[in-house]
Amino acid sequence: MSSTATTERPSNVSEALARGRLGVPSVVFFVLSAAAPLTVVAGVVTTGYGVVGVLGIPLAFLTVAAVLALFSAGYVAMARRMANAGAFYAYVSRGLGRPAGVGTAWVALLAYNALQVGLYGTIGAAATPVLDRLFGITPQWWLVALVAWALVGLLGLLRVDINGMVLAALLCAEIAVIVVFDLGQLSNPAPGGVSFAAFSPDNFFVPGIGAVLVLAILGFVGFEASVVFSEESKDPRRTVPMATYLSVAIIAVVYALSSWSMTVAVGPERIVEEAGTQSVELIFNLAGAHLGDTVLTIGQALFLTSVIAAMISFHNTTARYAFALGRERVLPAVFGRTSPTTGAPRAASLAQSALGLAVIVLYAVNGWDPVLQLFFWLGTSGGFGVLLLIATTAVAIIVYFARSGEQETLWRRLIAPGIAAVALFAIVVLAVQNFADLLGVEPDSPLRWLFPAAYPVAALLGALWGLVLRRNRPETYARIGLGAESAAAVVVPPSSVTESAPEVPR
Amino acid sequence: MLIADEFFLIAHNDTRGKAKLHPAATGLGLAGGLLGELVLYGHITVAQGQVTVLDRRPPADALAHTVLDQLIGEAQHQAVRTWLSFLAQTSVTSVGERLARAGVLRRQETRRLLRSSVSYLPIDLNVAAWPATRLRALLDRAESPSVPDALLLGLVAAAGLTREVLWSAGPRAHHRLNLIIPALPAPLKELVAHTEAAVGAAVLRGTP
Repeated sequence: MSSTATTERPSNVSEALARGRLGVPSVVFFVLSAAAPLTVVAGVVTTGYGVVGVLGIPLAFLTVAAVLALFSAGYVAMARRMANAGAFYAYVSRGLGRPAGVGTAWVALLAYNALQVGLYGTIGAAATPVLDRLFGITPQWWLVALVAWALVGLLGLLRVDINGMVLAALLCAEIAVIVVFDLGQLSNPAPGGVSFAAFSPDNFFVPGIGAVLVLAILGFVGFEASVVFSEESKDPRRTVPMATYLSVAIIAVVYALSSWSMTVAVGPERIVEEAGTQSVELIFNLAGAHLGDTVLTIGQALFLTSVIAAMISFHNTTARYAFALGRERVLPAVFGRTSPTTGAPRAASLAQSALGLAVIVLYAVNGWDPVLQLFFWLGTSGGFGVLLLIATTAVAIIVYFARSGEQETLWRRLIAPGIAAVALFAIVVLAVQNFADLLGVEPDSPLRWLFPAAYPVAALLGALWGLVLRRNRPETYARIGLGAESAAAVVVPPSSVTESAPEVPR
Repeated sequence: MLIADEFFLIAHNDTRGKAKLHPAATGLGLAGGLLGELVLYGHITVAQGQVTVLDRRPPADALAHTVLDQLIGEAQHQAVRTWLSFLAQTSVTSVGERLARAGVLRRQETRRLLRSSVSYLPIDLNVAAWPATRLRALLDRAESPSVPDALLLGLVAAAGLTREVLWSAGPRAHHRLNLIIPALPAPLKELVAHTEAAVGAAVLRGTP
């Protein structure tokens, strides 16, 4: 008897739940496809050179990547202990209190909506060459935007998250095209040879640095989504952190390389001027000259699919944010309901679509420029909002670990998020100083205050609403920050909600 | 009729057996029903997010027996959410089969392209439509429903099917529903709450 060692019986429950759990590659693919690399390289970087007029964009991508990697150390550590881990306001609620959490939620709604709606401005530019080739037509940008809007709204309601395999294939194609474009640009340098001026700190620490840094943050938006899969990953302690760091690193390398190779091909002294006149077309004009028509066509088609994928992704992110808030009853409960047959957060999706339609109509009626004034302004403002969210979350992480006394290494609970918080708030200060550069308006334009000021106003209103809830609806107040898990919080204290998440032994 | 059976009939079309509810919520709602049956029989209880077995004697129903055996056999798993996720993976089939055994539904396999899918068609329309009709009538009455009926109402609400069941009911019925769920016995109230949280989490993850 004593010779038969008791081996642990395999657990059916663990095995069944472990099936279909995600590994590092799946999470990285998910994050990167939401980041839509070609949209950033072809849309944001080119417009960024033109509008901001600073050469140091490649270095900005690397700097922001370093800051976000530091931030992620604490972020993924806290995510494991959170219900509703995908939303920044949940961290702020736990770390800095529920009123601050509601304020953050309002800021997040504003920022993600701005990012989504901004994309309607660039869809026209993205679709024009494709439509021209296919049908020989060049419709008005708003017509294209309305078609895209209808598509996004419909898919949002049907809850057709584009199939993961399709997204992964598109993503690989996008990155391949970006690399091919980069190689084409690097092998055709402007007169004067391959220049590394874009990586020179002299071209980075200039007036406008804040604007460039916000632009770089914009490129990374979506990296925060990795933690959504904490509970479904094969190993929450390893998969999600690895996937987060890997995503940040891949994004940084791709964007830094592409933005640098653009300066090589055009010439560091002419990139700002050329980007200013050619805008989104710059990268395609270069590709057409270097690589020929076929590669150019593929690139243009992928730019279009990239923008559409980004729109759908941001639409769903925004709708789910509103859904989580509706479940908490912080927003009206109707936002927390889903369509029975599809499980789509119906009201939240419709509300986002309504906003998109209003903005498209507003811009079309007034004849405002879609690429600069819609895509770039709202995009960078959204990026600035996300910067505020990350910075606040960094502080929330430090406070959370300090107050809860949870076991965690000093690096993850204090040092890394501490350095990140200091750096992020420095970027916030620089960004506010440079907001006129970021928008490309005169320094005395009221817009340079209007856009950044929207966030503190939203945060203040949100915090006030949080205080109102504390007084009038204590049950709702107790649910703030728990998202969908708030349903169980009514009967169980919040701490045990996170612990009761499905556990899988390794 | 058992809780999960009635939930199944409510969540599916009463003529063609088509799903009225998305797969994640259907699975979780049925899983909540299966656990709820064991709570009602006094075999298990739910407290602090954990399932505890109280009575190991086998229940009369075969499926309930299987679920209880699983709960006893894997005592290292106690979290309600773990069990909801686990049971949700197979609950449509297991409850569908139970209804087929009882002669309420007829199993039908359809082959389309390379996939074959199984659906359960009602044999008697009146039987299939009865649970939803009964719940509507319950909410029109002034007296409070029995505990099993209140649990069923709670699970229907948690899965997001309230509007489908109460499509013709007035605001008074909705109001009554909002009073019934908080009045459930604590273990069942918690079970319903965890089911609702699990359904919401599935929506947030975006995986259908």
